[in-house]
Amino acid sequence: MNRVLTVLFAIGFIVFLLAGGVASAYAVGGLVEQYGFSGASRLTNILFLMLIFVMIIATLLTLAERKWSALMQDRIGPNRARIALPGLKNRSLAGLPFVAADSLKMLSKEDFIPEHANRFLFNLAPLLAFAPVFALFAIVPAGPSVELWGHKVDMVVATPDFGVLYLLAIASLAVYGTALAGWASNNKFALLGGVRATSQMISYEVALGLSLVGLMLAFSSVQLPSIIGELAAETGGIAYGQARYLWQWTGGPAGEGFDFGLPAWGILLQPLGFIGFFAAAFAETKRAPFDVPEGESEIIGYFVEYSGMKFGLFMISEFVEVVVLSGVTAALFFGGYHLPFGGEWVAAQLKDQPLVYATLLGTLFWVKVLFLCFVQLLIRWTFPRFRYDQIQTLGWKMLLPVGLANIFISGALVLWDPSLRMLAIFGLLQLGVLMALTLSRKEGGEAAHGPGGGHGALGHGHDAHALPGAAHGQALPAHGHATANTGSTH
Amino acid sequence: MGYKATQDPRTDVRERTYLPELLKGLGITARHFFRNLFGTRDTNPQVVDRTGTSLITTVQYPEEKIPYPPGYRGLHRLVPRDDGKPRCVACYMCATICPAQCIYIEAGEYETEAKEGESRTIEKYPTQFVIDELRCIVCGLCVDACPKDAIRMDTYEHTKPEYNRQGFVYDIPKLLKGPPVSHPSDPWNKREGSEEPHHVHKEAHTRVGEGLVQLKTPHAVGKGHEPKKLGPGETPTSRTHK
Repeated sequence: MNRVLTVLFAIGFIVFLLAGGVASAYAVGGLVEQYGFSGASRLTNILFLMLIFVMIIATLLTLAERKWSALMQDRIGPNRARIALPGLKNRSLAGLPFVAADSLKMLSKEDFIPEHANRFLFNLAPLLAFAPVFALFAIVPAGPSVELWGHKVDMVVATPDFGVLYLLAIASLAVYGTALAGWASNNKFALLGGVRATSQMISYEVALGLSLVGLMLAFSSVQLPSIIGELAAETGGIAYGQARYLWQWTGGPAGEGFDFGLPAWGILLQPLGFIGFFAAAFAETKRAPFDVPEGESEIIGYFVEYSGMKFGLFMISEFVEVVVLSGVTAALFFGGYHLPFGGEWVAAQLKDQPLVYATLLGTLFWVKVLFLCFVQLLIRWTFPRFRYDQIQTLGWKMLLPVGLANIFISGALVLWDPSLRMLAIFGLLQLGVLMALTLSRKEGGEAAHGPGGGHGALGHGHDAHALPGAAHGQALPAHGHATANTGSTH
Repeated sequence: MGYKATQDPRTDVRERTYLPELLKGLGITARHFFRNLFGTRDTNPQVVDRTGTSLITTVQYPEEKIPYPPGYRGLHRLVPRDDGKPRCVACYMCATICPAQCIYIEAGEYETEAKEGESRTIEKYPTQFVIDELRCIVCGLCVDACPKDAIRMDTYEHTKPEYNRQGFVYDIPKLLKGPPVSHPSDPWNKREGSEEPHHVHKEAHTRVGEGLVQLKTPHAVGKGHEPKKLGPGETPTSRTHK
């Protein structure tokens, strides 16, 4: 019980910190608009969104990666670094001192450049790997636009017309850093890593772009702010984008009673697009299961020869990419900063306190981002690395055709029913089939075999049929046969 | 018999579509995560006996220690007598048998007219008793060799880390610890102020019962002459008639 309360308090504290950050971001934005020049809030947004939110979350993710993976693997995780202050001396502080210790270590290590390496490119590569990733977040709106002290303040750095295309363009630039690092290191393994990274990027760029086309069709826009949309309470007329409802069951259009319904979120309209986008973007981050460029058990990776903060830049760019991917996914597929329902009602209630309203929704966005970061780490620590040919197969022979089919079907459905309801029904159908497949078990012997809703390897340890091991579950490809054979014996 | 080898052995639609199985895997990982995140961790060093929701089996070493099994040969100790001096009589048995030659003893002799008249019942004592724990190979031969049961390895701890080699050279102050022990046949018990008359225990050999608990052969001593030292709440009769 104590532990549960502690964890809940910690989660609450994190949300509180997020709210504080969002509130100060809006307040500072409003103040500079008032006392500075028009549009100055965009500059402070660079500071708050990219330097404070994204960087701090990415830094903490380096710790979370180790701590969360430990929890997933029934370990305790890093807890030995302590702060030598009275009262803190014997507290592991959930491993937080490791963040400081690691960064100190990175910064104070020898900056080694191997012999015969191309010094210029060798130094350039970490920058090229980090900068594009860092710049990605510029187009993601992290909160609603509100009127603060008579000035319009919105929580986004830039709203270019080309919107998502900026994302696709800049994200693909990051591979230059990887490829250059591999090439300039004068190391065969690093070169292998760079080449692998390049080929992986090529096979996933296409799928990444295609998976978003359906969404662009559905919302008739490539700009993130209009894909996220605005509530009726904000536009004053009619809601659009992901802020509107597909089906609204209670409440009026603009805050008349509590509104409840099925929101037009991207995940409901485009489940296939979401899966494709998530998989392809995951491949972009070069993390497991798509970590062949690193492949620390085969080749050490494109950054073998890097040490100190140059390696740190590669590492932190990976985590920044995780945060950015979470932000983009939240904006595109999970309604951005909007509540799933009740948004109009909240907007109507908080009409006179724009700062509170903005803080609430901005915090909601970051909570979504954190949740998606968690999902990404969950994926990273669940799945083994794909073999190289499996990656190519997945990219070219699965994601690409599925993405193309998704575009045609989505386009047809959007043409047929511009209110997107047919698209949503189709999407819900896909989700339903996926859930049914996931929750159902194999017929026949498998039912008696009983992994019990996915106990996996653990569930196979039944005493009743202690067959000479190998038939049971260990060899995954033979799994289906093995269970079918043993199933018939009992 | 008959293993069907196909190109793709994944016959089930769930495995072929890949995603459902992936989601199941995610479910397993997530369940472990949340169980360990919210679950209270049992710090019982006996890991198999642990209860609680957390699945973590780690024993955090310096804070939690798994007790060594009975009979573990740990760090040496010199067994003290009732008066706090070591029982050792400086016979050099242990130093002689030690294959690593890690024991160094310098013998001293009690003066005939010693102030502490009681100690005079024993002739010799070690003025120096030094064990180099870095050389020790923990074979336990010294314990077997000791005729006075003066050296034991029953501390159930291993040699502690030190910053220099000199720290591992244990002398009498570092070695002398643990409960004082007296054996019935000890010369120590033949002294004037001894509580038990020595002739009673003449035949009782030192090893049996180790003086801390009752001797296992009380009949050999004779009725009415059982040693006094017993475990708490134990009477000699309850022990013998069991």
